[in-house]
Amino acid sequence: MTITSTYKGIFIAALLLPAQSLLADEFTGADLKRWKQQYMEVVDEGSKLFHGGLGNENTVSCDQCHPNASNTHPETYPKFQQQLGKVAVLSEMINWCIKNPLKADPLPLDSARMTALQAYITEERRNVPLAPGKH
Amino acid sequence: MNRKNHFNRREFLKRGSALIAAGWLPLSLVEVAFGKTQAESFTFAYISDSHLTHIKGNNFVRNWDRGLTRAIAEANLLTPRPDFILYGGDIAQLGTPEEIDHGLDLLGALRGDVHYVMGEHDYYLDLGEHWRKRIGPDHYSFDHKGVHFVVLNSILTHDDWIHKKWDSPMHRMKEMARLDNPQGSPFLVGDPQREWLRKDLEKISKDTPLVVVSHSPLQKIYKGWNFWTDDAEQIQAMLKPFDKVTVLYGHVHQIQYNQIDNISFHSVMATAWPWPYPSTFAQEASYMPKLTVEINRADPFFERDGTGWQFINMHTGDVDVHDALPDNRNRVVAFDEKKGHPVDARYQAEANRIPPMKHF
Amino acid sequence: MITLNTCRIITLGMAIAAAGTSLVNAAPLGLPAVPIPADNPQSDAKIALGDRLYHEERFSADGKVSCATCHAEEKAFTDHRAVSKGHNGLLGTRNAPTVINAAYMETQFWDGREPDLEGQSKQPPINPVEGGLPDHVAFVNIFRNDASYVKTFKQVFGVDKKEITIDHFAKAIASFERTIIAGDSPFDHYQFGGDKSAMSEAAVRGLAVYVGQGRCVSCHIIEQNQALFTDNRFHNIGVGFKNIQGRVGEIAKDFLKAKNKGVDVDVTVLSDPDASELGRFAVSEDINKIGAFKTPSLRNIELTPPYMHDGSQKTLADMVNFYNNGGRVNPDDPLSPFLSGGIRPLNLSDQQKKDLVAFLKALTSPSIAAKVTSTKIID
Repeated sequence: MTITSTYKGIFIAALLLPAQSLLADEFTGADLKRWKQQYMEVVDEGSKLFHGGLGNENTVSCDQCHPNASNTHPETYPKFQQQLGKVAVLSEMINWCIKNPLKADPLPLDSARMTALQAYITEERRNVPLAPGKH
Repeated sequence: MNRKNHFNRREFLKRGSALIAAGWLPLSLVEVAFGKTQAESFTFAYISDSHLTHIKGNNFVRNWDRGLTRAIAEANLLTPRPDFILYGGDIAQLGTPEEIDHGLDLLGALRGDVHYVMGEHDYYLDLGEHWRKRIGPDHYSFDHKGVHFVVLNSILTHDDWIHKKWDSPMHRMKEMARLDNPQGSPFLVGDPQREWLRKDLEKISKDTPLVVVSHSPLQKIYKGWNFWTDDAEQIQAMLKPFDKVTVLYGHVHQIQYNQIDNISFHSVMATAWPWPYPSTFAQEASYMPKLTVEINRADPFFERDGTGWQFINMHTGDVDVHDALPDNRNRVVAFDEKKGHPVDARYQAEANRIPPMKHF
Repeated sequence: MITLNTCRIITLGMAIAAAGTSLVNAAPLGLPAVPIPADNPQSDAKIALGDRLYHEERFSADGKVSCATCHAEEKAFTDHRAVSKGHNGLLGTRNAPTVINAAYMETQFWDGREPDLEGQSKQPPINPVEGGLPDHVAFVNIFRNDASYVKTFKQVFGVDKKEITIDHFAKAIASFERTIIAGDSPFDHYQFGGDKSAMSEAAVRGLAVYVGQGRCVSCHIIEQNQALFTDNRFHNIGVGFKNIQGRVGEIAKDFLKAKNKGVDVDVTVLSDPDASELGRFAVSEDINKIGAFKTPSLRNIELTPPYMHDGSQKTLADMVNFYNNGGRVNPDDPLSPFLSGGIRPLNLSDQQKKDLVAFLKALTSPSIAAKVTSTKIID
């Protein structure tokens, strides 16, 4: 009995609270900040991988050819890549670079490291309009 | 139709393709004599930024080794021979004795005398000690056929950065080796060397053509990647009294050219890899010279695309830079007397450019 | 640069033949429509004349050499020799490229010294080590006195006997060659036809090597809806380097001097083995193109041994090994400093090499294979 009445009490109290803390499609400024910070964690991890953190034997790193991830143009994918013989997404081209100039094994496309690399590359190109297919 | 006429017609067709290479005659059968007097005209070759990278043992990164090897083989084909060769700095990636020695071994195959420039990748491990031991002073001048050449070490920086509490000299080297490093430090020629330069130039008459050679650009293009020398304006002011001045520099791994008052600026290509133009970094403004027609984005499959070396024709104090670009079309950027600045021989007009020559 | 190959030095007036006409077969699976120059439209009569001329042995000094001698249908339109044999047994310097799908090439010959099939067809009859005829005047005169040909030229081109020129021959032969088109291979059915059982498992694995670790696809291009297996560009892949090692500068300089004095490039590169190795440089005079040769298509490659511009690789396995070693026969052979930036050791396993060969064998067109009687190399 006590339990039931407590639930009732919570239910009544909840009705009196501001709506945004309750409904699934609304969130607070604190949520936004937290999520951005979550994203930036991964961007920073991507930056480390991009700047020599992949541990490949020949020591060549992504930033050697792409300072600030420039000329990676993530906004142009998917696009036709002659090196791959097909229309490819950014992660497939990242793996091409890992296999060739870096001479390392490709990353699984859904791996945390691949996500981090894409996060960093895309963050450095933020606010540039999408231009899929463009060369 | 007889054989001879037919041959001529076909030759005409073929020259259609040959014409594209016509501004560039590496195996020249033509006397190099644009100058008013024969004595003032000469050529030299310019190779730069090889970034040879030691892995371990006798193992170096193949791609960078191939770039330097190819440049040397091509430069050795020049006929008539260039008077000398300039090596523009960054022979090494992390400044180790192994890398510098390996570079000098490869460069030993070059036919001709080489003048060397210090790059930041040669310097920040041992502050240039091994380089100077193997090669000699890092700033000097010499005269050649009426032209005064000055070589500067432009990749010094502020003392407080150099002598920070680094974990190790290699830590310092790696921080400076990273181009886009927000913890980096801007390049500097510095007070002592500028004083040396002032004294060196005192002896030179103002109508002597001057060629100043440095690793970093003695102009300010983009600080974020050190396409920049902090005391560039002070150097430019010292060069201002001279009638004809050319500044040649490496470091940027791309074609750049500019004219500031009396000074023509030309970058040289890397043999290792090309760098994007600063404008491709969307988050910050840069100051790319408007004159420069940018080179296309390189195809990473062809490892030599967007890399190369230069054949430089010096005539009456002006410089024509011929870029030899494997897996790409060669470029010629020559001083235009009428316009008073360097001009690309083919790509100046928008209509002549190869798509997508917007450097996407 | 990425788009260099799209920039044409000589623009041809291209017109794509209307689909459904009897003049050009509809594009086979895996290939685009055949490009037809505006000034040389296809016609059944012209193609038939071209076919007859293609087999005409009077194209040579000894009356024994026709186009078909070195580009024989039963040998997959090549000759199965390392280098071709011309009139009176004279040897050239280069391997006969197949005529199959040559119509798609943006330039002709290994060094691209002719822009089209018309230009290409005019050279062999008067090359001293091929047809060996003195010049095109002598060549045309042979046929001006042949009543049967005079009648046909009149029908096809509307020209009288005296108006017949070498260009009429060239146009007819080129028209015929534009019908020698072959796709429809097991690969095409697998890749473009939706039939995932069309290739063997080994060939499917080989395709993965081809676009992956083998890096073949970068020059031998496969696209989303077609595969020409060429980029129409010129690359130094190391073939023949050993023969001119240490002498490149001297050979290049001597060649340029001779060219400036007016020697014929076509004659020189086929008769002087050293000059032959200069490749595209002989045409473009571009230092970047020393030892660079045109990327051939790989279609029907199983039927066209031996391989490379000098026929130096006898089998597909040899050829794969050559690439696997980074552009050399043995891993310790010297490397050309002029090697294309795309060529480097591939570290393929024996299984990957076998799979790659299996894939290359899946590029054979049934229409071609049906006519080929042997693939034995003739020494």
